[in-house]
Amino acid sequence: MLAEPDRVHDMTLAVLKKTISSGCTPLIITVNQPYKVMVKTYAREGIGQEKFYVVDAVTQYSGGTPAPGPRVRYVTNPSNLTDLGIAITEFLKQMPDTKKCIIFDSVSMLLIHIPTATASRFLHFVVNKLKLSDISGIFLCVEKGLDPLILAQMSAFVDRVVDFEEGGKLLRE
Amino acid sequence: MSSPVKGLISDSAESKISQGDDIFRTVFQKIQTGILIVDPAEHKIIDANPIAIALLGHTKEELLGNTCHEFVCPAKCGECPITDLHKDVHNMERVLINARGERIPILKTVAKAKINGKEYLIESFVDIIDRKKSEDRKVALIAFMNESVMRVHKPLELTRQNLQVLADRAKSGDYDAEDIRMQLQMHANNIARMVKTLEELSEQAIKERGIEIPDHLRDFFVGT
Repeated sequence: MLAEPDRVHDMTLAVLKKTISSGCTPLIITVNQPYKVMVKTYAREGIGQEKFYVVDAVTQYSGGTPAPGPRVRYVTNPSNLTDLGIAITEFLKQMPDTKKCIIFDSVSMLLIHIPTATASRFLHFVVNKLKLSDISGIFLCVEKGLDPLILAQMSAFVDRVVDFEEGGKLLRE
Repeated sequence: MSSPVKGLISDSAESKISQGDDIFRTVFQKIQTGILIVDPAEHKIIDANPIAIALLGHTKEELLGNTCHEFVCPAKCGECPITDLHKDVHNMERVLINARGERIPILKTVAKAKINGKEYLIESFVDIIDRKKSEDRKVALIAFMNESVMRVHKPLELTRQNLQVLADRAKSGDYDAEDIRMQLQMHANNIARMVKTLEELSEQAIKERGIEIPDHLRDFFVGT
């Protein structure tokens, strides 16, 4: 899902709300904000921390102390793709067998830490895992924040590329 | 080493192919295109002009009498695109392997021609290594710009936006000092990472294209 940089926060929130309201439990993979901050941000929007699970790759990276919890797992830094992959896989197994999905926040911030080709391979790996488990995934990204070639590659292994507009309206599919 | 074919050509009327006519001989010698004349029956080279010799890096004696497969055509015996597969080779990009084992991109055309009643293959080729280098440079430049945009420009736009959000959060009073510190530290680390990425991309570009960049600019680019 793509949005202009100043719309990314709106997009993340809109996607999260829509996911929860559809009865789906999201696993948020964050390389964008620490879990502790995320919990407060979403609480202000009326979303309690019992509504989502998180794989947090930035708390330790930003010198914070990871506070253990049943709904959060920490990865040392966003470039640690092996641990990120393991955390996603294990958490998806551990989450109750209700409708679940993942929200990746965001591909654009992940690209700070790893080359685009590596990111493409990693995302392909994640999408394959999701497909095998019949789990939906939403990958958030800044508009024009992906190499057209990689976007084309991703378009081949994701179901839809969606543009976001304020209010959660879909512009283009 | 004297090739039997060369001897045959030199001693026979067929030597007129490259020797009998002054105009033909001058054009053959001076044209800036490599030309090989090949006997299609055995695919043996019976003559080569100076440009072909220079591009291939072999002596004329080494070329004459040997099969063209060994020098300008990767096809196996029995799979000659012209005589066996009956295909046209017209301005096709191919690779020539010279005496030093270097692969030289060429644009190659093969034409059939009857000379003195006998059919020959006229293989002509031009070196397109400069064009290839230019294309490679364009690809490298696009790759450099692409990685810079994806891994620095767009994330910087996001970071600027995130810092604006952080400023609003700091005012709200909902977040404690540690929350704000963590986010500032994350953005500081991200910016440091982006600077490092730019340095790595520059170093990589210079490593690949080092000889084309003057020393003083090279130092400036990599910041050493």
